[in-house]
Amino acid sequence: MTNIEKLNKIFCDVFSVEESALNSEFNNCTVEGWDSVHQLSLTSAVEDEFDIMLDAEDILEFTSYDNAKTVLAKYDINL
Amino acid sequence: MFLDLDKKSKDKVAAIDDSGRSITYGEICDFTQEFSKQLPQRSLIFLLSENRIGSLLGYTAALSNHIVPLIISAATEEGLFNRLYDLYQPEYLWVPKGKSEGREVVFSAWDYCLVKTDNKAAAMYEELSLLLPTSGSTGSPKLVRHSYRNIEANADNVRRLFKLDGNEKAMAILPMHYTMGLSVIASHLLAGATLLLSGRSLLDKGFWATLKEATSFTGVPYSYEILTKMRFTRMDLPNLKVITQGGGKLTEAMWNTLAQYAADKGKQFIATYGQSECTARMAYLPPELALEKVCSIGVAEPGGQLSIVDENGNETFEGEAQGEMVYRGENVTLGYATCREDLQKGDENHGIMHTGDLARRDADGCYYIIGRLKRFLKIYGLRIGLDEVENMIKAEYKTDCYCKGDDEKLVVLVTDPKLQEVLPAFIEEKTHLFHQRIEVQVVKEILRNEAGKVVNQ
Repeated sequence: MTNIEKLNKIFCDVFSVEESALNSEFNNCTVEGWDSVHQLSLTSAVEDEFDIMLDAEDILEFTSYDNAKTVLAKYDINL
Repeated sequence: MFLDLDKKSKDKVAAIDDSGRSITYGEICDFTQEFSKQLPQRSLIFLLSENRIGSLLGYTAALSNHIVPLIISAATEEGLFNRLYDLYQPEYLWVPKGKSEGREVVFSAWDYCLVKTDNKAAAMYEELSLLLPTSGSTGSPKLVRHSYRNIEANADNVRRLFKLDGNEKAMAILPMHYTMGLSVIASHLLAGATLLLSGRSLLDKGFWATLKEATSFTGVPYSYEILTKMRFTRMDLPNLKVITQGGGKLTEAMWNTLAQYAADKGKQFIATYGQSECTARMAYLPPELALEKVCSIGVAEPGGQLSIVDENGNETFEGEAQGEMVYRGENVTLGYATCREDLQKGDENHGIMHTGDLARRDADGCYYIIGRLKRFLKIYGLRIGLDEVENMIKAEYKTDCYCKGDDEKLVVLVTDPKLQEVLPAFIEEKTHLFHQRIEVQVVKEILRNEAGKVVNQ
């Protein structure tokens, strides 16, 4: 699996959506039920999958699909 | 007046919410007056709560004017809302602006609207003050009936337990429709303190900015999972004096982290225990014992009394013992309601609550919860009734099933493999329990013994 496929799979699993739903509109305002439970599940899964440890500020930044990609770039994960 | 709200300094700020707006005790009293002109005393009203000032005012004005609210989340699933509405037939609704859905709005303030329905007045017991769902979530229309004295007694017990005064700024982030969230609100209002009322996620930057102002933080075990994940123990939070926890059991590791943090930084870590049947809080561990009595719920709160009834039915109040924990106090609620007629019922508990929790008491009189007699799980501080989940599944899919699990995960046994896919989403929709905490196992059959007890392991 490529890195972007891994990231997409994490989002799809956490939010129970199809990959086609993931776009720049996918964020904590537009997605119903996006709460701390979902956000922490996302960041924990990302940490496990990419073997990184996110800084606290970066966990707070995980509020959209696009932001997730931006954060991962900071950890040298090429998507 | 309710919680002596009219005896606080008028200009003192009672609450600040996420919008940045604040309200004083004087304004709360003025609003109470205004609200009383809109609807008669002893009306039944549904309060669709969010953690902001409009919602808080609905609560204080209703209680002060002897109007009886049922407090439920504004995010309550439509099916459950309709069931509650049909069952209890409220005369009024207090709802966030934009959620009145074409109904007749008779008054609005602070982004909340008062809606008049066509329902007639309900007959209600004169001491009935407030109704809360038994669990925030399992879709059960079963309510806990509170008296006026219950609310005041809990607020005063908690005020004494934490030695609250007007200087406190409490982080009030637990939902208002959740018994402990409401207890934080009532106890701090009684103390004349300031509430930092927030509906934000703990992973929202705004929450962390507000936390810097707070003198206390109240959370459930999951709140502390997030806080430690965010490495809050390394943060500079000079105003924070007290961290307190309820709504389930912390892991030993988390307990030790919090107790050590408090010891190192000169703060207090106070674990508490409670149930919605007893207006939230019932027991607490004095902070100086936190490092020594790991995972203990401590002793009864001021104004309460704990005991243990052992397997032979002997009740004891001191010395080592093990058995069902029993609580006595003025915060023991009146009982349950499952239909509109039940609102007429008086006090069925008479100040005594058999908690359904198995406890051990040590020689020093500290209690430890070691198990449960009743079938429910507590995940994210939410009570998930196993029988209720089973009934929901049976009703929807006409199939046998069995629920079990622990406070990490709900496990559902079914025989139909097709249900493995759909059940997590179904249960999440009905209960708001995150689907990754639900595991569906397909078994050949659900084995029951002669007594009807499920024996699958």
